[in-house]
Amino acid sequence: MKKRGIGFATMFYGTGYGNGFPDVSTAVAELKKDGKIVIYVGATEVGQGAKTIMSQIPAEVLGVKVEDIIFICEDTSITPDAGTAAASRQTYNTGNAIKKAAEALRDEIIKIAVEMLEVNSDTGLVIKEGSVYIKTFPSKKVAFTEIAEKIGDELLRKEATFIAHSTKMDEETGQGSPYWPYTFGACGVEVEVDTETGYVEIIKATVAQDVGKAINPTLIEGQIDGGFAMGYGYAILENLNVVKGHIKNNRFTNYLIPTAMDMPEVDKIIVEDPESTGPFGAKGIGEPVMIYVAPAILNAIYNAVGIRMTEIPVTPEKLLKALNENK
Amino acid sequence: MKLDVVGRSLIRVDGLSKVTGKAIYPQDIYMEGMLYGKTLRSTKPHAYFKLDITEALKIDGVVKILTAEDVPGHNSHGVLFKDHEVLCNKKVRRVGDPMAFVVAESEKIGDEALKAIKVEYEELEALFDPSEAMKETAPQIHEGNSNIVYHYKLRKGNIEEAFKECHVLVENEYFVPMVDHAFLQPEAGIAYMEEDGTVVVAVATQYPHFDQIEVAEALGIPTERIKIINPAVGGAFGGREDITMQIHLAMAAKITGKPVKAIYSREESFEAHSKRHSVKMKYKTGATKEGKLLAMEATLIGDTGAYASWAINVMRKSGVHATGPYEIPNVKVDSYSIYTNNPFAGAMRGFGAAQVPIAYEQQMDMLAEKLNIDPVTFRLKNIFRVGSETATGQLLDESVPLDRCIEEVEKNMNFIERFKGGVAQ
Repeated sequence: MKKRGIGFATMFYGTGYGNGFPDVSTAVAELKKDGKIVIYVGATEVGQGAKTIMSQIPAEVLGVKVEDIIFICEDTSITPDAGTAAASRQTYNTGNAIKKAAEALRDEIIKIAVEMLEVNSDTGLVIKEGSVYIKTFPSKKVAFTEIAEKIGDELLRKEATFIAHSTKMDEETGQGSPYWPYTFGACGVEVEVDTETGYVEIIKATVAQDVGKAINPTLIEGQIDGGFAMGYGYAILENLNVVKGHIKNNRFTNYLIPTAMDMPEVDKIIVEDPESTGPFGAKGIGEPVMIYVAPAILNAIYNAVGIRMTEIPVTPEKLLKALNENK
Repeated sequence: MKLDVVGRSLIRVDGLSKVTGKAIYPQDIYMEGMLYGKTLRSTKPHAYFKLDITEALKIDGVVKILTAEDVPGHNSHGVLFKDHEVLCNKKVRRVGDPMAFVVAESEKIGDEALKAIKVEYEELEALFDPSEAMKETAPQIHEGNSNIVYHYKLRKGNIEEAFKECHVLVENEYFVPMVDHAFLQPEAGIAYMEEDGTVVVAVATQYPHFDQIEVAEALGIPTERIKIINPAVGGAFGGREDITMQIHLAMAAKITGKPVKAIYSREESFEAHSKRHSVKMKYKTGATKEGKLLAMEATLIGDTGAYASWAINVMRKSGVHATGPYEIPNVKVDSYSIYTNNPFAGAMRGFGAAQVPIAYEQQMDMLAEKLNIDPVTFRLKNIFRVGSETATGQLLDESVPLDRCIEEVEKNMNFIERFKGGVAQ
C-alpha cells in the first residue's frame, strides 16, 4: 500500500569560521592595458559558481561586462589568500574583498579621469561600459584603455582585505556572538511510502531560501537542487556501513547517492532581504540549502505512516522493520 | 540602487569549458618522464606496525619508496591540531592511514610494489563507539590523557525550573551516521620541480594557500618555494579540506627530481578523506500550552574518528545551532567531539549544523502534535525574527526573513490546511 505524507522543516546557518577565528579574504583588482580588469584571488571554484559571481561583483562596480573581467584564482604564487572555499563564506567574505578592491580601483580610475577630462570634481562622473563620462554631457568621456595608456608602464592595481565579524564565546557559558551573518530557510516535501517495500519516494518539494540579495538567481537554483539531492541522500540512501573501522560501502554500487532520475520537482523560491554587511546585500547559501531537506523528509515519513525515524538513513530495510514492529 | 550585472542569471563563466570537456582536471595532466605514486594504507584500525620494503625495492621500475623517515620537515599536518602524520611512523589509528608512498615508473609496477611490502602489525585495542572512548578507563588513541577532543558548553537561563513550567515535553534520542562527500572527481594530482627549485603541486583542492603552508612545513622549506596550482575541481563539499596526497606528491617530486602523479580510485578516495561527523543526540524540549518554547536540553556526542581535523569547530557549530532557528529562553547544551578508531571526520557541507535539525525539527513536530497545533503555526510562534536573541545571547538585528520563507512554502504546498487531518492513516 502506498501512503502519502507531507513534512516541513526550517533551519538557520551561521556563515564563516566563527568564534572570533580570523576570517580573512584578500583580493586584487588590476586594470590591463586593453581596458579589461583582472581579479586575482585565491578563492577556489569547486563547482559552486565562484568564478561567475566573483566576476559579476567587480563588473557591477566598474561598469564593465563580465566578459571584460579576467578572473584568476588557480595559482598561489600570483594570488592573495582568500581563505577556504567552505563555511559558505566565499560569496560573503571574498565577495566583499573583491568589491572593496574593485571600488578602490574605480576610485583611482575616476581620479585619473578627472585630470584627463579636465573637470573640477568627480561629482557627476559616471563609470560605465569601460569609460568614464560626464553624466550631463556624455560625449565628453575617457576610455579605460586611454587611462591605462596614460599611466604608462605603471600598473593600476589595488588590493583590499575583508575580515568577517565574529566574537569568541565564553568558555563556561557558551555565550557570545559566534557567527555573522545567519542565513535562514524553509523546506516542504511530499513523500509516498510503499508500506510493502519500505521505499520512500519524494513526490514534490518546495524550498524557500533567504539569500540576502541574489547575485545570480540561476546559480542559486542550481545550489538548491544540489543541496536537495545531498539532503535526500542523507535522509534515505547514504550508508557507509562502517564495521570495526572498515568502510564496507566504498563504491557507488553500494554507497548509494541520488541521481537525476531520483530527483523530484523542487519549486525554488528565492527570498531577498539584503544584509547590510554583504556585497550588494548577499549572503552565502552553499551549505544552508542542504540542511532542511533531511528533517523535512523524516517529518513527512511520520505524517505518512505514523512512525518517527530517529536514525538515518531511512533505508527500505529499516523502515520496513519499523513498520512491522508497529503493526 | 539600479544594478546592471548583479542580480542577473548570467551563464557560468566556466560552464562551456566543463560541458565541452575542455576543462583541465588534475587527472588530465601528463608530463614527460613522469612517475606514478601509490599509497600503502593500513588495514588495521589501531596497531603498531613495522615495514620491510627490501623486496619491493628490488622490483624493476620502482624508483623510491617513501616512509616516515623520508619526511624532510615536520611529519605532521592537520587543520586544527597537527595530529595527522604525513606517513605514519610507528602507529596507525584508522583503516586507511598512509604508511608508505611508492614511486614507480608505471601504476602497474607501483601496485606490484605495494603488494611486495611486508607489514607486521601489533594490534591494539580499538575504539569504535565514542561513548566508550569518552570513559576515563578507555585506551588513549593519541598521546594525552583523554579521547575527548572538545566539550562545548552552552548555558542560558535555568532549564530545571523551566521544564517544571512546561505543559508539554518531548524527549528522544537520535543518531546520524558518518557519510561521505561523494564528490565526482576522486583525488588526483601531479607535482614537479621548477628550475629555480620551486616545488609545484597541481591538485584539486579547496584551500590552495593552506596546502602551500602544510606542504612547506612537511618539506622543511620556505612557503615561497611551494606553488599550488588548482586546476578544475570536480566537487569538494569539505572533503578536500584536509590534505591527502599533496604532501606525498611534493616529497616524491623533490626527492626524485621528476614529475610524480597520483590518482586515487573511488575506493581509495573513500578511505583517504574525511567524513561527516556521526552524532548521537539526546534531546528534551518543552513548551507551554500556548505553544511557546520554554526549555531545551541536548547532549551531542560527535564521533571525530582517528584525527581531530575540524572536530572542535564542527561540534561547536552543532552546539550553537542545536536550538534551531527558535527563541528558547532556557537552554543547556553539551556538545562533544571524541577520538575513536573510525574513519576521521571533518568538514562537510553543513558542518555540524546539518546533523542537529534531524533532532530539533522532529522535536518541533512532536511538540506541535501534543499541543494539537499544526507544525507550521507552531513554528511561526517561536521562530527568530528581527530583534530575536539566540541561545548564545546574540542579537539578530537585520535580515531575518524566516517568516517569509515559511509563508512561501506554506503558500505553495498549503500545509496548514493539509495538516489538519493529522497523520494520514
